[in-house]
Amino acid sequence: MLLQYLAFWLWDFLGHLHPLAVHFPVALLLFAAILELFTLKNFNSKLRHGIDALIIAGSLAAIISAVLGWLLYKNGDYSGNVLTLHQWIGFTTAALGVLTLISLYQIRKKDKFKQIIVYRGLLFFTAIGVSVAGHFGANLTHGGDFLTSTLPWSKDHKETKPTQKFDFVAFKAKAADTTKLDKKQEVELSTEVRAILAHNCYKCHGAEKVKGDLRLDGKHVAFKGGENGPVIIPGKPEESELYKRISLPADHEDIMPSKGGKLSQKDIDIVRFWIAKGAPWPEDGSKATVFRVAKLEPRNPVLPATSNNLTNPVDLWTNDYFKKNKISWPALVDDKIYLRRIYLDIIGLLPTPADQDAFSKDTRPNKRALWVKKLLSLDNDYALHWLSFWNDALRNDYSGTGYITGGRFNITDWLFKSLKANKPYDQFVKELINPTEQSKGFVEGIKWRGVVNSSQRTEMQAAQNVSQVFLGLNLKCASCHNSFISDLKLEDAYAFANIFADTTLEINRCDKPTGKFVDARMLWKELGAIDAKASVAEKRKQLAENLVRPEDGRLYRTIVNRVWAQLMGRGLVEPVDIMDNEPWSQDLLDWMAFNFVAKKADLKELIYQIATSNTYQLPSIGFKEVAMVNNPNYKFKGMVRKRMSAEQFTDVVSSVITPVFADSNLRYNPFAEAIKGKLQAKPTFIRASLVANNGFLTALGRPNRETVATSRESQANLLQALELTNGVMFNNVLKTGAERWKANYPNTDVLIKEIYLKTLGREPVENEFKVAKQALGKSPDVDAIQDLFWAIVLLPEFQIIY
Amino acid sequence: MSWNRRDFLKNTSAATLAAMAAGIPLTNLLSSCIGKNNTSTADTVILLWMAGGMAHTDTFDPKKYTPFTKGMQANSVLSTFKSVPTILDGINFSEGLESIGKVMDKGTLIRSYKAGDMGHILHSRHQYHWHTCYKPPQSVSAPHLGSWIAKELGPLNPVIPAFIDIGQRFTLGEGEELKAFHTAGFLGNEFGPFLIPDPSAGLESVQPPVGMSSSRFEKRNKLYYDLISKSPLGEYGSDYQKESLKRSMEQAYILLKSPEAKAFDLSQEPKESYDIYNTGKFGLGCLMARRLAEQGARFISVTTEYEPFKGWDTHDNGYTRLIDMKKQIDGPIAQLIKDLEKSGRLDRTLVILASEFSRDMMVEGRPDAKVQEQVEQPDIIQDIKNYGMHRHFTEGGSMLMFGGGIKKGSVYGKTADERPCKTIENPIVIDQVHQTIYHALGISPDTNYLVEKRPFYTTPDGLGKPVLDLFA
Repeated sequence: MLLQYLAFWLWDFLGHLHPLAVHFPVALLLFAAILELFTLKNFNSKLRHGIDALIIAGSLAAIISAVLGWLLYKNGDYSGNVLTLHQWIGFTTAALGVLTLISLYQIRKKDKFKQIIVYRGLLFFTAIGVSVAGHFGANLTHGGDFLTSTLPWSKDHKETKPTQKFDFVAFKAKAADTTKLDKKQEVELSTEVRAILAHNCYKCHGAEKVKGDLRLDGKHVAFKGGENGPVIIPGKPEESELYKRISLPADHEDIMPSKGGKLSQKDIDIVRFWIAKGAPWPEDGSKATVFRVAKLEPRNPVLPATSNNLTNPVDLWTNDYFKKNKISWPALVDDKIYLRRIYLDIIGLLPTPADQDAFSKDTRPNKRALWVKKLLSLDNDYALHWLSFWNDALRNDYSGTGYITGGRFNITDWLFKSLKANKPYDQFVKELINPTEQSKGFVEGIKWRGVVNSSQRTEMQAAQNVSQVFLGLNLKCASCHNSFISDLKLEDAYAFANIFADTTLEINRCDKPTGKFVDARMLWKELGAIDAKASVAEKRKQLAENLVRPEDGRLYRTIVNRVWAQLMGRGLVEPVDIMDNEPWSQDLLDWMAFNFVAKKADLKELIYQIATSNTYQLPSIGFKEVAMVNNPNYKFKGMVRKRMSAEQFTDVVSSVITPVFADSNLRYNPFAEAIKGKLQAKPTFIRASLVANNGFLTALGRPNRETVATSRESQANLLQALELTNGVMFNNVLKTGAERWKANYPNTDVLIKEIYLKTLGREPVENEFKVAKQALGKSPDVDAIQDLFWAIVLLPEFQIIY
Repeated sequence: MSWNRRDFLKNTSAATLAAMAAGIPLTNLLSSCIGKNNTSTADTVILLWMAGGMAHTDTFDPKKYTPFTKGMQANSVLSTFKSVPTILDGINFSEGLESIGKVMDKGTLIRSYKAGDMGHILHSRHQYHWHTCYKPPQSVSAPHLGSWIAKELGPLNPVIPAFIDIGQRFTLGEGEELKAFHTAGFLGNEFGPFLIPDPSAGLESVQPPVGMSSSRFEKRNKLYYDLISKSPLGEYGSDYQKESLKRSMEQAYILLKSPEAKAFDLSQEPKESYDIYNTGKFGLGCLMARRLAEQGARFISVTTEYEPFKGWDTHDNGYTRLIDMKKQIDGPIAQLIKDLEKSGRLDRTLVILASEFSRDMMVEGRPDAKVQEQVEQPDIIQDIKNYGMHRHFTEGGSMLMFGGGIKKGSVYGKTADERPCKTIENPIVIDQVHQTIYHALGISPDTNYLVEKRPFYTTPDGLGKPVLDLFA
């Protein structure tokens, strides 16, 4: 507040000195650190006085820079990720500088030579700090790709090459006479303008920095304008702030871009011409350059030659990828890790100590493949594990909105049996799209009473959900208006939704009726026709047949990618619902999808193919931040570390400690029906996929399934930790389990060994054993055992799949 | 979902990322620095939720009173209670709300709320709309108002969960529909509500498990860290799953051990004060809200609890039942305002009273649209059970706002004095309500995240505008 009353220009001015001032601490401190390296053997070398002076000057300069930086932040328009990082690293560095100085003073004036190591540590950290802060600062000023964009292999570099085919002079000559451009011209011109905006304006008027509250990186934000209102007045370039600012003299204080130099006269003319022609921004103008569109048709790339004794085609592609990216194959994971992975990934349970023992004693050379096969043949366990994945995706649950008014249908019985029978995927999809009474819950959607937004009626829900789940395509935008993020148009969405409609739906744009109608049709005409006059049942049937044709590469790539993501922690394409994004290996994705169709769309076969590959057996990769997993520059090096799902965690607790759920929790009983006249054996505990959602499972990440969910969060959070720390249900389970174990294992040493074997798959190391033994005492009571269970199941080693 | 979440994390969530790197206390510090709008007038929000549809003409906007007589014309009844004066000149409340009437010099009375128009009336849909600003169903899981606030601002005091929801059980009728909006939606569970279904047992949620002594709790925690440090896991290095688990466990431990957790313990309240609040679950919820606000809570919702045909959901006996409802809310709400003012917190605490829609004796939904499935209402009333506001009315409604920069002693908007008693001046809709709250908190009106590549705003399309006239 104070700032507002003092001469603000002064603060502004000082703030603007920040980018200048920061060079001092960077240079001084870095140089000090470098010189310090030469004094490592002899602290009091000849360089000492020089270093002292550098540190004094550098630290002071760091403080001043931090203060100036803060002023710039207060008065500037910087915001976003990078700023926050820069700011905090900057402040921390200034603080480190002071600490270095203090420490140096202690040594020099008070002869505390023991502090030399502290001082050097501080100095080096400070040097790293200034470098990193400086790097992020430079990103803020010049853009994150300032440095890399000049590299020949950078994407930007390619884009800025003068490959433009746009001949403005010719274009202008042709369009000069017409008052209105034709569709094709609109597309061409607007694409060009957007390219100009993208290259010159987004850095400050995009998602990262929003100077003057103005964003130019999208149609609606651009026309909405900034803090002083609209900047584009269609038809009136002279009144449009956008044109006015870019056409100012280069030394004018309001010139835009304010950094990086004035636009070329040609670009300015293009923008002017564009606004004069009414600033057309047709959605389909994007088709030319802006969105990546994945190919629809399948592709069967020729497998690379075998090398390094690799046989699994997945590995041949990985090998190819590794070669191109100069990555070498690390050693594969050991038996223990491998067994734990395949158990959790295929049946959602841990191997028992007996399983582990048998596996380690198994001497067959192909034992890993044999065990994968064995697990895949446990059809009940397999189905109960994958049920959760499909329930999320098909938003199928035992409870939830809609059921209360009969507006929703459960498909668990159909789904479980389909998984258990390993129904071919094409058949599976067909039965969901052209459903029976048992499988209709997916396309029928959730019907709320009353009037719903036209983009949310059940027919449109079906269109959106079918596109998202089976095609990795976002139809949600386009079901309200022409999409800003893809080439899909409102009409496409309605045409697709009409497949599920009794009578042709009136097209609503942003919930307003338009009086227009469109016949039912496929999103890709290449996939076949729909008879718009036919009944819903018939249209669904046609859709189902059309979608599963082998020509539909999209459908099969989408499922292959989803299964890959389940096993490998990250899809070849991410996010898994946006299949137009670029995969890290197009060849691998295409080959797997093609091969999947060739192998009769057998999901178990697909899992087998992946799980037996060396690629799957690479050591897992941990990421420091969740955002790094989804980074477009992601390089595949091995499975991305996963965390047990709510169901995996609960089922393992049920199997090892004591059953979490009682029979009364069961909402679907797959074992009730007799098979061939024989009653099925009752399982020893109730799997979490068979119970209604509850507070515990929700806290651990089970979604509420009101909408399609195709992956889960694997980060922990406070609400989850509270549920695990003092939640009544979990506490009671552990207590009951402790009572059981106390009765079963009177010997403390055995008990400790057993719990380690059953949960972590290994015996405790000596130190762990000591700690556990101390906690349990000689004759442990129930409380002590319960607390040991608690501590162990909360260990990262237990919860994370390595 | 979480890939989408990752996607937007990548794009936008600076606070979360930085906080991840830095640990909890910084979360607070960082997020408060990031808000673009530095002119906030409130740090804390308390929502007093009148679940089930509170009739404005029988509460904060009384019209002509017609006492019950056998054989009376239903259409002649606008209010079933007498009007009583409030501290504001010329402003009356319905009988039974005298205590709140006496604190109206500290807040603003809004008499022009218009609920969303969704055809059939379904409480859960309107409640979903009120709390998320989006009409269900949605193709993206919409976050609750409290989750947006938790996401944007984080906790005020790092050990108190940012979003606390007091008084609602989810095991009653329409529990699933309630769950659908008591969620952080695409923002992620981290920002979901900390649920305290029963305020008198609230302490159990924030102390070591029932039956576990404090020393055992300490020992157990030490055992956990000992085992982590002794585990040969180190060879795998660190990853966000592991770090977030360790950090969350630490946060939980700190919360459960913190002196602030005492705020959840209502038995610590002096008896005199406790008795004023103790009108039932709602009153005690207000008391807990006050105690939490004192310890630095960010967003607290206290509900009269929604259960079909209970509470404010008066499909019959409207008059008689409202006598009881008013007893539940009048004293505690007035006391809450007075206590907050006395401690100096009212200035930075925005207290809002609201309901999903109003009620009327004759009109169901909007006056000009015939809605099916009206509540039965005889034209001639013989039985007192038919005397009351039993139909759902969306065209008018009352809200209260106190503190947090809101005008004192002010009235906003107006409804007609004759049936239909609909809004005739300064209508205010839910988008404006949300943006007014965000404005008070300093959250930018076009806050949004990319979900599946498209922006999802705090209010639909980011078009909502705060009602600046409400601010002092």
